[in-house]
Amino acid sequence: MSNYLDLSINEIHELLVKGKIKPIDLVNESFNKIDNNKLNAFITLDLEGARKRAMELGEMEVPQDNLLFGLPIAIKDNIMVDGLRCTCASHILENFISIYDASVVELIKNAGMIIIGKTNMDEFAMGSTSETSYFKAPINPWNKDKVPGGSSGGSAVSVAAGYVPFALGSDTGGSIRQPSSFNGIVGMKPTYGRVSRFGLVAFASSLDQIGPMTRTVYENAILLNAISKKDPKDMTSFETDEDFTRLIGKDIKDMKIAIPNYFVSNVVEKSVLEVFNKIVNLLKSKGCKIDYVDVNHIDKAVTLYQIIAMGEASSNLARFDGIRYGLSEKENTLEDLYKKTRSKGFGREVKRRIMVGSYILSGENAKIYYNKALEIRDDLKKSFEKLYKEYDLIIGPTSSRVAYDTGLNDDDPLRSFMDDILVMHANMGGFPCMSVPMGFIDNLPIGLQIMGKTFDEAKIYQLGSFIEKELNLDLKVGANHE
Amino acid sequence: MSDYKKTIGIEVHVELKTKEKLFSPSSNLYGNLANTNCNIIDLGYPGVLPVLNHEAVSLAIRAASVLNCKIRTKMHFDRKNYFYPDNPKNFQITEERTPIGYDGYVEIDDDGVKKKIEILEMHIEEDTCKSIHSKERTLLDFNRAGVPLVEIVTKPCIHTSKEATLYLEKLRELLLYAEVSDCKIEEGSMRCDANVSISKTEELGTKVEVKNIGSITNVGLAIEYEGKRQEELLEASEKLREETRRYDAKLNKTILMRVKETGNDYRYFPEPDIPYVILSQEEIEKVQSEIPVLADVRREKYLKSGISLLNANKLIANKDLSDYLEEFKDINLKTASNLLLGDISAYLNKKELSIFESKLDKNKFSDLVKKLDDGVISNKNFKDIIVDVMEREIDLDSLLKEKGIENVVDNNLVLEIINKVINENEKVVGDYLGGNERSLKFLMGQVMKESKGSVNPKIANDLLIKTLDERK
Repeated sequence: MSNYLDLSINEIHELLVKGKIKPIDLVNESFNKIDNNKLNAFITLDLEGARKRAMELGEMEVPQDNLLFGLPIAIKDNIMVDGLRCTCASHILENFISIYDASVVELIKNAGMIIIGKTNMDEFAMGSTSETSYFKAPINPWNKDKVPGGSSGGSAVSVAAGYVPFALGSDTGGSIRQPSSFNGIVGMKPTYGRVSRFGLVAFASSLDQIGPMTRTVYENAILLNAISKKDPKDMTSFETDEDFTRLIGKDIKDMKIAIPNYFVSNVVEKSVLEVFNKIVNLLKSKGCKIDYVDVNHIDKAVTLYQIIAMGEASSNLARFDGIRYGLSEKENTLEDLYKKTRSKGFGREVKRRIMVGSYILSGENAKIYYNKALEIRDDLKKSFEKLYKEYDLIIGPTSSRVAYDTGLNDDDPLRSFMDDILVMHANMGGFPCMSVPMGFIDNLPIGLQIMGKTFDEAKIYQLGSFIEKELNLDLKVGANHE
Repeated sequence: MSDYKKTIGIEVHVELKTKEKLFSPSSNLYGNLANTNCNIIDLGYPGVLPVLNHEAVSLAIRAASVLNCKIRTKMHFDRKNYFYPDNPKNFQITEERTPIGYDGYVEIDDDGVKKKIEILEMHIEEDTCKSIHSKERTLLDFNRAGVPLVEIVTKPCIHTSKEATLYLEKLRELLLYAEVSDCKIEEGSMRCDANVSISKTEELGTKVEVKNIGSITNVGLAIEYEGKRQEELLEASEKLREETRRYDAKLNKTILMRVKETGNDYRYFPEPDIPYVILSQEEIEKVQSEIPVLADVRREKYLKSGISLLNANKLIANKDLSDYLEEFKDINLKTASNLLLGDISAYLNKKELSIFESKLDKNKFSDLVKKLDDGVISNKNFKDIIVDVMEREIDLDSLLKEKGIENVVDNNLVLEIINKVINENEKVVGDYLGGNERSLKFLMGQVMKESKGSVNPKIANDLLIKTLDERK
């Protein structure tokens, strides 16, 4: 079996340009490596489509300036790819075949990338272990007894396991960054509006954002270059035209970095803090100015998330009613049709969130909870914006612990939210935020998150790339970090 | 007379005549084959997003302006959540909290008494799809899903059915002439609901909503019926319920649809997929400067040219005819309006055609008016050829020639007929000369009869009087 996919994308690109390999070689290698029964990374694989596309691309001249040409990519199964099943890991869409491409998928295809398949996830992106998937849950390649994180668990696994160098995930409250942390990969949630959401099945519209999941910081920036574009089909997207790699390699001396005290408080496990503190010392030694700061409302992010995300989700998921598409339980009355279809179609976690969301928006509750949450969210955003006047970046651990045992969250729905206490602020404020591997605990990777001001992804990549280079961690699955 | 006072509030939904739908690029067209004007957005597919159509916002600004509303410069949309098959996303995008227009009024003229009907608010929202119910099943036509609407809500300031119908007629006229909407009630591009309550005191009574009434006249009838029904119940010491009813025009009755449940909960919240809409004063003024001439201006012009108020209002109410008339600069408006409202309207109605769909081109029509004015042809002549005029591409002169219609305009020939009539009716002539004016009518009738209608009545009349006067 070839191992081209273990090379950097610059090296692969050179081989393609020189004609030493063809896109089909990469596709074949990718499918050879995917042992889907082992890790359950994919819900749908498209061997035929990928091979066909690879053959087409093989006929073309490889564009010198397009590093992504001919490379395989995995897409989270809540993003529409024309002609492929889009299940959102739910029974209700188990047999739903998309009839259009998400705008981000159009960009991926135009860049000459090859879609390998659709990755496993928490049902409708609701969860942080990927265990709420209607299908067999994906498995952490570092340790088969541990969760891969979620909700973009399948995407993280497919990159970590070396199936593909690239994957797309979506992040509503940490769903790109937390599984990236658990799998030892790089995951970026870009600024809200940087990447079009047209074709992403909405969970919480004001928080959702699609982002790249990759092996390295540089490759992450390259993929973000390709997928960020103002989209006339998404009114919340914005004009964007910049090279996100432009600051990579630049000196980080005198960079001003803030660490919210909350991010290093007792909500985070000690072992994680130990790894994090090493990073802080490293940065100090390299001339960064680091301060510990208090941020107003920072401890309320989970509560805000539960109110806002569930309120919006209860409305976004109302369209799955058995009338136009998806699972439909034929019943005699309309009400029975709705009830039966939705009872059978949605899993427990999704139903729980729809119910909580409906309650939160009901009557007077809308004022007490939802409107109040929007106000506090605004204040929280302002608190961070105030910080950004003095600091370039904010850092902290991505997750409060490393990947944990499967099945742990089953009896306690709140526990899974606690995984995300450090990552939700970026969604609340719309800020860009990336997780980059910072070390290992018990042979399991753990990520550092770097949050920047709105539109400032380039600076995040600058710091992330610096740390990546300094640490030079062996992130190949199987490497021993005991 | 009843001691009860009616209080009525009216809600009107009007479809905006944009090219595309409110949130998708599908065509906004009425009458096409079912489910041909819809896309994944209108169908509420997973992953789709709404994109606001600015033409709809402009038309809403127009509407708000002609309704004398204040216009909100910063607004957002809201989701109204409820499950129903005609509601593809199971939420409707509307403006619950920040309606684009508010605090407006429409002035009505109730037999010379002017009254302002106050508009509480006017907001933009998307239409649902159309349900077609049959015995076993319900079919859905998504052509209407996402068509832009404005909903116009009055304050409960209307107290008679006449005020209600006058308001609706005026509202329709304003929106029609501002070219905001076709306002065709029969096609559903204007839909009226009336909230009716009665009370003996200042405190308002229990409100009953009568939905989707099929014509403006029927709104009046429905209000009258509803007032009586409520009065009878109250007089029988029964308690009224808040309910929704519909008006059955055949039975002239309102019929219960559903009793309003308390706490109908739409779980409104701001639509996160559409950012705030900010309207600048310049933008608002630009839209306002483009509002077409309103009906009142035309009406005044008609009245000045000698058209009766009745006919002027008829023309205004039939915007096609009024628009058609606008195309002529030098034309006798009175003759033209009589022609349009008389035989031509009758013909068009029978054929269910718009005047713009007929073969009555501008030249033909102005020629027609001129020839009628000059007496070259008579009204009777026109009746004989109307079908050809309306359906054939032929100029008037050729048509008249083909039909052998050439009026006797030669005064000598007319005189010959007049003399013949005078000679044959010596007694009547005597009566006339003796001062009996009515005898003239008889003689004129005889002239027309003798000429088989081929003489110009005006010329003949003048000549007849002249000839008779010579005998005095």
